[in-house]
Amino acid sequence: MISLLEIAERTQTGEKVVEKDWDMDLYRTITGLVEKYDLKHPADHCFINQDDDLPQRAFEAALECLTELGIFCITTGRRVRLCRDEILTIIRETPSEIPMGQGKDRRIWKKQKLEGGDPVNICPGHHTPFTEDLASLVVKNFAQIPRTDFLEGFNFSQVDGREIIGPPMEVYASRRQAAWLREGVRKAGRPGLAIVYYPINTRAEDLICVMDPEHGLRKTDGILLSLLPDLKMEQDMLSAAIVYDEYGCFKISGSFAIAGGFCGGIEGAIVEGIAKPIAAMIAYRDTIHYTGVEHIHSLNGRQVLTPWVNWARSVVNQALNRYAKTVTMRWVIPTSGSGTDLNLIEIAMQSIEAVVNGMNLYAPRHCRTTTNRGQTPLEAEWMIEVADATTGAGLDRAGADDLLTRLAQSIDGRKPEKGYAITECYDLVQHRPVPAYDQVYREVKAHLGDSGISFL
Amino acid sequence: MISADIPTEHQELLDQLKDMIVAIDSAGACRTAERIVAEKIDPMRAIKYSIAEAALAIGHKFDTGECFLPHLVMVGDLMDQVTMILEVGIPQEDCLKKKVVVIGAVQGDMHSVGKNLVGTMLRSGGFEVHDLGVDVPSATFIQKAKDVKADLIALSSLLTTTMPYQREVIDDLVSMGLRHKFKVIIGGGPVTSEYAVEIGADAYGKDAVDALVVAKKMFGME
Repeated sequence: MISLLEIAERTQTGEKVVEKDWDMDLYRTITGLVEKYDLKHPADHCFINQDDDLPQRAFEAALECLTELGIFCITTGRRVRLCRDEILTIIRETPSEIPMGQGKDRRIWKKQKLEGGDPVNICPGHHTPFTEDLASLVVKNFAQIPRTDFLEGFNFSQVDGREIIGPPMEVYASRRQAAWLREGVRKAGRPGLAIVYYPINTRAEDLICVMDPEHGLRKTDGILLSLLPDLKMEQDMLSAAIVYDEYGCFKISGSFAIAGGFCGGIEGAIVEGIAKPIAAMIAYRDTIHYTGVEHIHSLNGRQVLTPWVNWARSVVNQALNRYAKTVTMRWVIPTSGSGTDLNLIEIAMQSIEAVVNGMNLYAPRHCRTTTNRGQTPLEAEWMIEVADATTGAGLDRAGADDLLTRLAQSIDGRKPEKGYAITECYDLVQHRPVPAYDQVYREVKAHLGDSGISFL
Repeated sequence: MISADIPTEHQELLDQLKDMIVAIDSAGACRTAERIVAEKIDPMRAIKYSIAEAALAIGHKFDTGECFLPHLVMVGDLMDQVTMILEVGIPQEDCLKKKVVVIGAVQGDMHSVGKNLVGTMLRSGGFEVHDLGVDVPSATFIQKAKDVKADLIALSSLLTTTMPYQREVIDDLVSMGLRHKFKVIIGGGPVTSEYAVEIGADAYGKDAVDALVVAKKMFGME
């Protein structure tokens, strides 16, 4: 299997490429592959792919994309070339079970079955900025959710009352983030729960400084080391990957493709969406990925649903599940904020889709989150409720598609809503939503029940 | 549609140029531009109509999901090519002076998607764009803005911890006595309109489409 040292060498010796040329080459290559492998959406809209041949063709397209282009290192402006054998070896060696945590909180994250089967693995939060006064309490709240398998950190703009600016303060803040996570899970009575460091910046020193068995990352914890969009990597991330590979932490990656960007449209995003987690495994040894396809317009919160994005996401995850053993998770990103019914309906739809697509679930948060406005524990608990109900219902692809279609019709024409700050709709001391938000939750749950979901 | 004082065949050529640009027909657009010059149609008219209308059309297509970021790049390149053809023979001082933008992701920020989108939208929307890339120190923004006589500095930040560098650029402009020379627009995932006001930016762009609308409004280009 190609070593990280080999990758590092290739970032220094590979062919020099102007970034704009890389971007346009990516588009042209993927466009050609979409045509070559006949990747196109069916005539009638659907949320879940029903064509069993399509994921294999899409997978082949992704392999060819990686073989033809490689990965672009933005630090050195060079191409990291890969041959097909190297890619296939990585795929073969990719683990489908990731152990994490210690003691009674030891967990195994698994590749799930398509159309569900076992209860999915859960990261209920964060990946959304909170102020330091709430930090430890927020972590405690999320860690108290029994199904939590790991908890990710978050960004923040101030530490010890000072604005964070510059590498020394970033290092200090990074260690504080890890310490808050450690402290929060202890307060929740789960000292062995795995924590995942969320980079507050991507400099190597910020990523590595949190290794600390007592106050920071242990060998049984994890770190987020994401490939950039358009199959781009950074040397600082690679440096951290080399260190953590020896230390022992598991690594996760944001590996979805963005339709509308340089990968092109929906079909192009399928190709990048499959290629990217494989590339992340090669470049950083990431073993858990939030995968699929998003759209520029839904990530920006401009529209709730974008035609064909869900279908494209299911093609990606069916391909990764069948042909790459990838451990995937669905990053649940509603376009509406906390405290709104639309937020909860979107979360429900994304959770149903995830289970049927063989994905675990990760950190529901508003797509355009700002400080203290991204998520509350209720959304995570709701996500788990819906996922478990979906698993229990034994929904197949056709059944899930029918349900999602009906739910989509119920929110047709609605625009994303801003939502509320966590302190406006959730009581972190008593660990429950404020009455008004609780009422919203009950109404949405009843609506889901009327739509055909039986809650356990 | 331009006013009725233009002969029909000239109007048809201007419309043809617009359509060729939107279709990203490089050869066709360049040939049409050459014909416009040959027919002695006012090239400024072609720039203000054909290219401007094409920019609106492609912006709309991006907004509705009919086209993607690479199309904006190709249209931007084609607009530059066509403008060069049309401006042959026009004295430099009479050429339509585009508003100049310097854009980049601020220091410490390696994320380029949002910045690419905004830069490309601005370019296809008629701005001259100088993209400094990612992880750009304040001094680099300011020096480039001075070098190219920019009208607008656009600062992108996707991380909460890099947002202070947007403020740093503005503070540096103030301390150098240059604040009045450049408009500043900020944007990015965690950035808000309130933050833009707080740090003294001139404008905030919620996303790429919004950034173009705001920038055009800023310079009376609607």
